[in-house]
Amino acid sequence: MTLFTALFSHYRRHPLQLAALALMILVATTLWSGVRQLTEQARTSLAQSEQVMAGRQQVVRVDGAGLTVGDFAVLRRAGVCVMPWLEVPRPDAVGLVIGIDPLAAHCFAEEGAPFGTPGGSRPARLDGKPFVDIAEAARLARQLPAAETPPALVLIAADDTLAAALPSGYRLVSVSTGPDTGELGESFLLNLDALGILVLLITALLLRSVYRLGIVQRRDSFALLQRFGVPLARLRRLLILEILVLSALCIGPGLWAGGWLAQSIGQGFGQSLQGLFDAPLYASPGHWGEPALIMMTVVLLACLADFLVPVRRSHAPRLRSYPLAGGLLVTGLVLALLGPSLVLLFVAVAMVFAGVGLLAPLLIQWLAERAASMASDPLRRWRHRELAVMARQLALPVVALQFTLAMVLAVQALVTTFEDTFDRWLGQRLAAELYVPVPSGQPAEPAARWLAAQPGLQQGGAWHRVIRGRARVAVGDKAARPVDLLAFAPVSSLVSDWDFLATDGNPWEALARQDAVLVNEQLARRLGVGIGDRLALEIAGSPLALPVAGIYADYGRPAAEVLVSGALLPAGFEAEFESISITPGGLSREALVGGLKQVWQVPELTLRDNAEIRALAGGVFDQTFLLTRAMSILTLVLAAIALLIMGWVFFTGRAWYFRLLATWGLSRREVAAQLTRLSVGLTASVALLALPLGIWLTWVLVHRINPLAFGWSLPMAVYPGFWVELIGLSLLIGLGIALLMGRQLRAGAALPVSASSLTGGER
Amino acid sequence: MSQQVLEARELSKTFVSGGEPIAVFSGVSVALAAGQSLALVGRSGSGKSTLLNLLCGLERPDGGVISLLGERFDSREAEAPRQWTQRWARLRRGRIGVMFQEANLMPALSLLDNVRLRARLAEQPLEPCQSWLERLGIGELAERYPDQVSGGQRQRAALAMVFAMNPDLILADEPTGSLDRRTAEEVTAELFRLQAETGVALILATHDAELADQCQVTLDLAHGAADLTPGASAGPAP
Amino acid sequence: MRRTMLVLLWMVLAGCSQEPEQAGFAGLAESVAEGMAEGMAEGGGEGGQLFYLQPGPDTGLTLPEDLGTHPRHRIEWWYLTANLRTESGEPLGLQWTQFRQALLPREAGSIPEPATWPLEAAWMAHAAVSWNGKHVFAERLARGDVGNAGAAARPFSVWLDQWQLESVSEDQWRLQVQAENFSYDLTLTINDQPVAHGIDGFSAKSDSAQGSMYFSYVDIAISGTVTFEDQSLAVEGRGWFDREWSSQFLKTGQQGWDWFALHLDSGDKLMAFRLREEGNPFVSGTWIPAAGQARPLDSGQLALSVIEHREGVPVRWRIEVPAQGVNLELSAPPGNYRNQGLYPYWESPVDVSGSHTGEGYMELTGYR
Repeated sequence: MTLFTALFSHYRRHPLQLAALALMILVATTLWSGVRQLTEQARTSLAQSEQVMAGRQQVVRVDGAGLTVGDFAVLRRAGVCVMPWLEVPRPDAVGLVIGIDPLAAHCFAEEGAPFGTPGGSRPARLDGKPFVDIAEAARLARQLPAAETPPALVLIAADDTLAAALPSGYRLVSVSTGPDTGELGESFLLNLDALGILVLLITALLLRSVYRLGIVQRRDSFALLQRFGVPLARLRRLLILEILVLSALCIGPGLWAGGWLAQSIGQGFGQSLQGLFDAPLYASPGHWGEPALIMMTVVLLACLADFLVPVRRSHAPRLRSYPLAGGLLVTGLVLALLGPSLVLLFVAVAMVFAGVGLLAPLLIQWLAERAASMASDPLRRWRHRELAVMARQLALPVVALQFTLAMVLAVQALVTTFEDTFDRWLGQRLAAELYVPVPSGQPAEPAARWLAAQPGLQQGGAWHRVIRGRARVAVGDKAARPVDLLAFAPVSSLVSDWDFLATDGNPWEALARQDAVLVNEQLARRLGVGIGDRLALEIAGSPLALPVAGIYADYGRPAAEVLVSGALLPAGFEAEFESISITPGGLSREALVGGLKQVWQVPELTLRDNAEIRALAGGVFDQTFLLTRAMSILTLVLAAIALLIMGWVFFTGRAWYFRLLATWGLSRREVAAQLTRLSVGLTASVALLALPLGIWLTWVLVHRINPLAFGWSLPMAVYPGFWVELIGLSLLIGLGIALLMGRQLRAGAALPVSASSLTGGER
Repeated sequence: MSQQVLEARELSKTFVSGGEPIAVFSGVSVALAAGQSLALVGRSGSGKSTLLNLLCGLERPDGGVISLLGERFDSREAEAPRQWTQRWARLRRGRIGVMFQEANLMPALSLLDNVRLRARLAEQPLEPCQSWLERLGIGELAERYPDQVSGGQRQRAALAMVFAMNPDLILADEPTGSLDRRTAEEVTAELFRLQAETGVALILATHDAELADQCQVTLDLAHGAADLTPGASAGPAP
Repeated sequence: MRRTMLVLLWMVLAGCSQEPEQAGFAGLAESVAEGMAEGMAEGGGEGGQLFYLQPGPDTGLTLPEDLGTHPRHRIEWWYLTANLRTESGEPLGLQWTQFRQALLPREAGSIPEPATWPLEAAWMAHAAVSWNGKHVFAERLARGDVGNAGAAARPFSVWLDQWQLESVSEDQWRLQVQAENFSYDLTLTINDQPVAHGIDGFSAKSDSAQGSMYFSYVDIAISGTVTFEDQSLAVEGRGWFDREWSSQFLKTGQQGWDWFALHLDSGDKLMAFRLREEGNPFVSGTWIPAAGQARPLDSGQLALSVIEHREGVPVRWRIEVPAQGVNLELSAPPGNYRNQGLYPYWESPVDVSGSHTGEGYMELTGYR
């Protein structure tokens, strides 16, 4: 038998421990690398679209028809430097690929390397995703399911292209890179990063606890091997080798599973990125080396930290860490309250978590000791003392469970609040029964005149035009910023149910009188605008200065938006999108559709009803938190399993003493009751301690992080029902430990070989 | 004649190992009255601990009858295991003091709290607990924890626990086995002194012949069950 | 430049481990094509079973078809050099070249659907004007088969974006180029029948049977307008038009080539080139007398030597064709005539003196 097999024989006797270690590494790698892959991809995408598309213009047909390769040839033959750009979803995979023609891009190269080629004089080399040759993109587009809208060809024009140089039938428009979303996309990703790091931290704690358990149990065999003449350094090297081999075996599949995780939720993630931040998710190749290295480092640090720092006899938290923990906690709390940036907030959260993590086991221990000294009944005193020992022995998994519970609680509160708020908000927004987009190239006015002339609509019906476009807004002497423009014409009763975050009198009346504008929360926050402040608007070149009469919530969008009366729009205003919201009232749907078809002279009319839009919106927003939810639940499961294992092992070490109770005449049921009270006492106190942390984290998420990450705030709500569920879950974990232990007791317990050599003898 | 505490007849115990039943012993009979002491001797593996376990109900014999403090446990009667264990548990809780070679104390409790816990389970008053520690010469260590005192002191505390429950029978399994000779002698002296004072019956499993000699009767399991002469080996003391 | 491409192409074909950057626009396009290999394979690879055709001495020329594309050949070009004069009599040199490189051989008739953005051929066009010691150059790239770049034999037309050469009548072509800082619009009158180089148009490019199909119109009268530095210049003069295609050319070790097309005042014309390699360079040419048959020249009949370098580029040459009593000294006008495109090369007008006077063009590749 080699030394290594001698060392490893421990895991042959305790395969569950090895499995637990492997599972921890695997799941930690999966969760973290999955999230990382998505955020990296999203980050690359943001940078790419920023770099390539920012400030560019594109050529479109005046007749509004889609562009084809023929248009490309016509424009190029006319001497216009245009490049095709075709974004296609990858089949069965996450993200988009962008088909470009590197040869056509050559005329852009003189402008200074816009397509990621250093030097600028050479055309782009297609050395990686998301850029592929447009032939490949076109091939992928042909393979898309017939039900999907075929990707539209975009022709990007060189910066110096002049409108006058275009052949007739074409015009230049700016490439819309989406609204000015500020740092929102980045903040959103930062949010996910932070969540990923939290998960990594929790799993590292769990990993460490399981690994240390094995080490403690193997201490005797190490001592024996040392007595046989094996040098300590060699033992350590073997242990490092052992954990290296284990992590190498688990990190690979973990990364694979992480890729799979990213894949399976990536489509939804891409959708929410598109929906929330108007940022596309391009396909980008996954990097494996770096995550594997980081994961390996985390595993090694978590498991072998003892080799790196001077070995202390006991790794249990000590009372002298009170000042440090308290300091971290207080600083973190203050920073969370005052921190101006997202990064600082995350630092604050980290400090609070660190402080709480150090304090929680001490607190449980202290409370248990106190309860013990106050108990006059020796049996109760014994139980409290045992609880104190457990809190110390199981500090790592206890803290991990506490963190996870807090995280789950906060995420649930955030998501539920969001759902409730969004639902209510959507209800107000979608007051009309039908939505008719104005066909492209058609004016909306004739339809409006026709609608105004329908007597049926007057009977319980209502309608208004919805016009979307762009405007520029300046406040004070700051430079004007582009914002989204929303206009209603007329201001109908369909909007009267809107909840305002702030209003001044009746904002709708002011809007209808053309006396004021309304702004969304995003604009108010970003420009620091309040009720009564005057906005200097510029719509299609015409200036307009009006006060703000109301601030409305505008969830799920990053853009700043100003809402004006449609009557204020100047003649030269070009709407990007127009629709009509209609509640037909006395007018039949058939009559409505027929009438509008006739007005517009179109054979078909797109008609969306309320439920359809609601479902669409709901779908997008469900995706937004899918990742967050999945991560927190998986972590909870992992933490529960880890505590279960650790609790079980802890009890196995102390089984003799529970047998002692039986020897002293306690019935089996009485012993089981003691066990249950102990383990449930532990998990319940973990849950109780997680509550304030979770509520605090909810507050940070809702009031501090969300406005910074998403641009809008939510009302803070707490869900005690869910707390009860979490406490219930903790009790179940406690019961699980007791149940496992009960089985262990029935199997018989050996007298500890030496009362002081095993963890079981500690007090 | 003093009161009969224990009478066990024709006890046998078999273990199954590798599919084969192995008899640890069979036909062992023991009788003991209050104030009497009996030494159980024999090599390691001869079944001393097993016999003690049978005599306090921690294990069930495969054959034989045990009468203890007025309760009768007949292995031939089909008594529900639950009821059987409950009757034994009641006896152990209040009337049988069991003491092992070590780890008799809860590590999370002080010596005094350990004694109090044992007394509380036996429904004995808690007040005399401190005096029990003092009678065993460790009164000043009452607030210490088991890992803060020596092995001898721990066994003294274990003795205090056993006596604090005011038992009718003490079963001690190598109570000084892990102690050095001198300490062992001191602890043994305390045990016999207190046994004499309280008049409790004592069964002591030991491989130490000198210690066995201090008991009134010796039952030798050394040669296994086959060499045991029923009746002759143990009986009421003269 | 055209020869550089051939050298590079040869390197690619020979699997030479030269720096891949050197693979030029051909390499670029091929790297794209590689990425698509999977997709093409799925599509059955119509072109996959086709081979590139190799020209040989018995290939022969077919006109006017050979003015159009040769999709079963790897590479081809249309190439015009012109020695013009402005109204005030100043010499003005002008060049226009368009290249096609196939990434996939295909039958002439099978044209892929443009909407699929096929990547079966890449096109490149060069234009340069040399005047007053100044030299300007522009370059355009395009993919074939989508419409903005191509060539046709009937009616003759070669185009890439807004640059185009097209026939306007039986013997007249029009060449239009608009670049950022210069443009030209020229009328080309073709005065003679095409001259086939080598053996029936097969021009050897090494001793080991490699070569290309090559013919020229050597007597082209040109008039038109050149806009240069915001000056519109009326120009007149003569031009030389080359048509060349092949699938494999140079062998490894050939470092570049030096090419000359000369209009001698005697009415004779001379084409000569030299492929530089280790040991003896491969020399070849064509003597086109004012009257009578063109005669191919081999290394025994033609000698080229460098007289003077300018910044590493041989700008003065001696060319001898002893059998014709030709002993010429060629010199480039002062200035830098490097075409600084993706792959720089030298392209300049030359003055001819010695046994004959005249003018012409010189292309030098492979000099740093």
